[in-house]
Formats: sequence, C-alpha cells, structure tokens
Amino acid sequence: MSARQRPVELILARSLLATLSTPGFLVDEDGIVVFFNDAASVLLGVRYEEVGRMGPEEWGTAFGPLDESGREIPLEELPLTIALRHGRPSHARLRIRSTQGVHNDIEAAAVPILTVQGTRGAMVFFWKVDEA
Amino acid sequence: MRVKIWGARGSVPSPGPETVRYGGNTSCVQVTLSDGTLLALDAGTGIRSMGLGLAEPARPVHILLTHLHMDHIQGLMFFGPAFDPTSEIVIWGPEAPDASLRDRIARYISAPLSPVEVRELPCHVSFNEAPHSEWKIGPATIRAASVTHRGPTLGYRITEGDVSLCYIPDHEPALGADLRDDGPEWISGFELARGATVLMHDGQYTSDEYSRRVGWGHSRLADALAFGRRVGAKRLVVFHHDPLHSDDFLDALQGDAVERWADLGGEPTSLEFAVERRELSVDRLPRSAASASATPEPRPARGGGAARGGGGSAPSRESSRSP
Ligand SMILES: [Zn+2]
Ligand SMILES: [Zn+2]
Repeated sequence: MSARQRPVELILARSLLATLSTPGFLVDEDGIVVFFNDAASVLLGVRYEEVGRMGPEEWGTAFGPLDESGREIPLEELPLTIALRHGRPSHARLRIRSTQGVHNDIEAAAVPILTVQGTRGAMVFFWKVDEA
Repeated sequence: MRVKIWGARGSVPSPGPETVRYGGNTSCVQVTLSDGTLLALDAGTGIRSMGLGLAEPARPVHILLTHLHMDHIQGLMFFGPAFDPTSEIVIWGPEAPDASLRDRIARYISAPLSPVEVRELPCHVSFNEAPHSEWKIGPATIRAASVTHRGPTLGYRITEGDVSLCYIPDHEPALGADLRDDGPEWISGFELARGATVLMHDGQYTSDEYSRRVGWGHSRLADALAFGRRVGAKRLVVFHHDPLHSDDFLDALQGDAVERWADLGGEPTSLEFAVERRELSVDRLPRSAASASATPEPRPARGGGAARGGGGSAPSRESSRSP
C-alpha cells in the first residue's frame, strides 16, 4: 500500500516519539494510529512494527481503553478523539489492556498537531499510574 | 525550461580566491519558461547579478522563496527591478502562524537593517503565501510542500509539459526518517521530488561534518544522493555548498559523489555540483538514460519503523578532512 505523503509536522513528531522514553502514540488526522514508540509497546505488550497502523475500532478491540470500573470508554470521549475533533488538548485517566491481558492504569494526554493547514494529527502521551 | 544558477552557496556569501569556480553567492536560480515567463528561486545574494542581466525589467518576475533565512532573501534589497517603477515583482513564500509573508519580509526590509521600507520600494510588488494546492504561473504548474528544515520551509516543483524542476535547497530529510528503509510517506519531500527531471538538493555537509550538525536543517552529501536515488530523480544537482568548502575541496567531493552515485545505480553524467552562472536546460532525457535512472522502490517493513536520531549509518566514503 502506498500511502500519501505525511506532512512534515507528522514526520518530525514520529521522529521525536521514536527518540523519547515517554510512552507515546501518533495518530493521523483520520484517527489512525500510525506509530507508537517502544516505551508504549511495554504497556501494550506488542511493538508497532508487529501490528502496523490501526484504526480506532481495531485499537479499541485490542487495548480497551476502559474506565476504572472496567467499562469500555466510547471513542468520542477519548483524549485523542477530542484532540482531533475539537483541536484542543485533552487529558484522562484510563485503563488499557496489553496483548497479554495485563491491565495498566494510565494518565493519557493528547495534544493536537496544528499546521498551517489545520489539525493534521495528534500526539498522545501515556503515563503509568502506580497504585498507591 | 531554461535554468541558470546565480548562487549556490549556503549560509553566508563566501567570495574569495578559493571559491571563484563554484561561486560565493547565496541561493538564487533563474528559471525561464517556454513563453519567457521569469521565475527566481530564492533571493540570496545571487539575485543581484540576475537583476543586472535582465533585459526587460517591466515583465513580472516571480520570486519563489523557500524560506526567509538570510541566505535566501539577502539579495532582495539589491535586485535591480525592485527599484524600477515600471517593473512588477510577485513574491511567493511559506505561510507562518505568527505573521504574513509581507510582514516577515519587512523585518529585513526596514530600519535598522535596511535604508528603505517595503512600502517605499518603487516597483509594483505583491506578496503571496504559497497555496496548499498546485497553481499556475505562465505555462508552468507550481507545487510547494513543507520540508524538514528550521522554521517554515518549502520546496518547489515547477512542471512545464513533461519536464519538471524540483528545488529543495535547504533540507534534512534524514532527520526523522531512514532514507533507505522507511516508507515514502515518511520521507520529507518525497512526493514533491518524485521522478523530477532535475532535482536541485541540499548537500552541504560531509558525513564527518554532519555528525556534529544533526538537526541544523541540512543534508550530508551521502543523504542527498540517497534521497535523489530514492525519489528516482533523473538528474541531481547538489546545491547549498558549505561556505568553508573551497573549489578544490568541492572537486574532490564531487569525484567521490559520482562514484557513490554509480554504486547506487545512478548514471555518472546525471549527477553534478551546482556551479554559479552555469546554465542547464531541463529537457526530457533520452530513453536509455531515463530508464537507467529509474529506482526500484524498496518495500518498507510493515508499519515502517521510525529512524532513531538523525545520524544514520551510511558509509562515509567522501573525504572527512577539514576543508
Ligand atoms: Zn540556506
Ligand atoms: Zn535555511
């Protein structure tokens, strides 16, 4: 599959994420996960290269996310959806499920990637919450 | 389409006995379309000589600025037609979130850096942020795309008939991508440069120099060659020479580059280093040369792994001695 050229802001965001040890995801303007880094793969139990790009449905089925009572969080309430649809940062506490079935409580912060052509994607950072 | 290089030096003008052959003027390339329409790609100090050579200053001159670093706009104040009340200049450049193109250029053409203000320029001048989709200038179709450099920066592709010139003088595509293995969608400038008849591209540094300048927005020669082959450019003109690189040093670098280009499958005659005042005609290549320069597109790994850092791992064959 030959995908269209990514905007330079997404190319550089992907490079930044690949270099960071903060778990992070990159989604394009259609909400497709187009990259997550190795730090995120520790929480998800799988590397990006093994799964490739994932739409919101696939992503939801594979990893949750769930709220603290174990209910699946609707797509439109997720930080990344809010960042993309409304062009503003969003933050939430969620629970995600790794491919091995391990649940991790995380803080997720999504930041839209604004360009001169509008919102072209979002970066989503995860932070594991240690049980106190 | 006829092309004349008026300045191929990067960063800062570097006149002197050691740069007489490749030239010391900064970025400016004149493009003359089939109907005589005139374009200037960037307005570095080379544009001063271009202005002196123009016979009919009254026709519009379109200046396509890749970005507003000084080495790409310094000549604006010394471009003859700007001071001719009968001439018309149309300036195109990158959009930025903070101010209009006109206001950003006015930071240079205003006190204390300049004795005149933009509003005082005698010519008819207009400023246009480059559109996000293709547009026409005379018989040519122009495309602009943001590329990896410091600050808002464009590359341009000028297509007339079935030939195209792609101009990306300041570009670090290896920052954030593996030029060999990443999918083309993740390589800055790929779509813009793909299959260009002539690609003029940043090749400022040796590998040794680049190792200390990763993230500065420029390419090492090895990456310029890899990019040129990857996009399947029919001809590559290495541009934006480092001010420290003397004529003799560039000669040696070019010799190594031709060998490496051939190793990558390129025709030795389809690679050259930009030389000030050199004219090129951008024509369709003979069939044999065109097929020899086609690059098979390598299959990216599933998902396409992101590059780690920008250092890359290409062999460093070119000289690493200090220029
Ligand atoms: Zn430059
Ligand atoms: Zn620059």
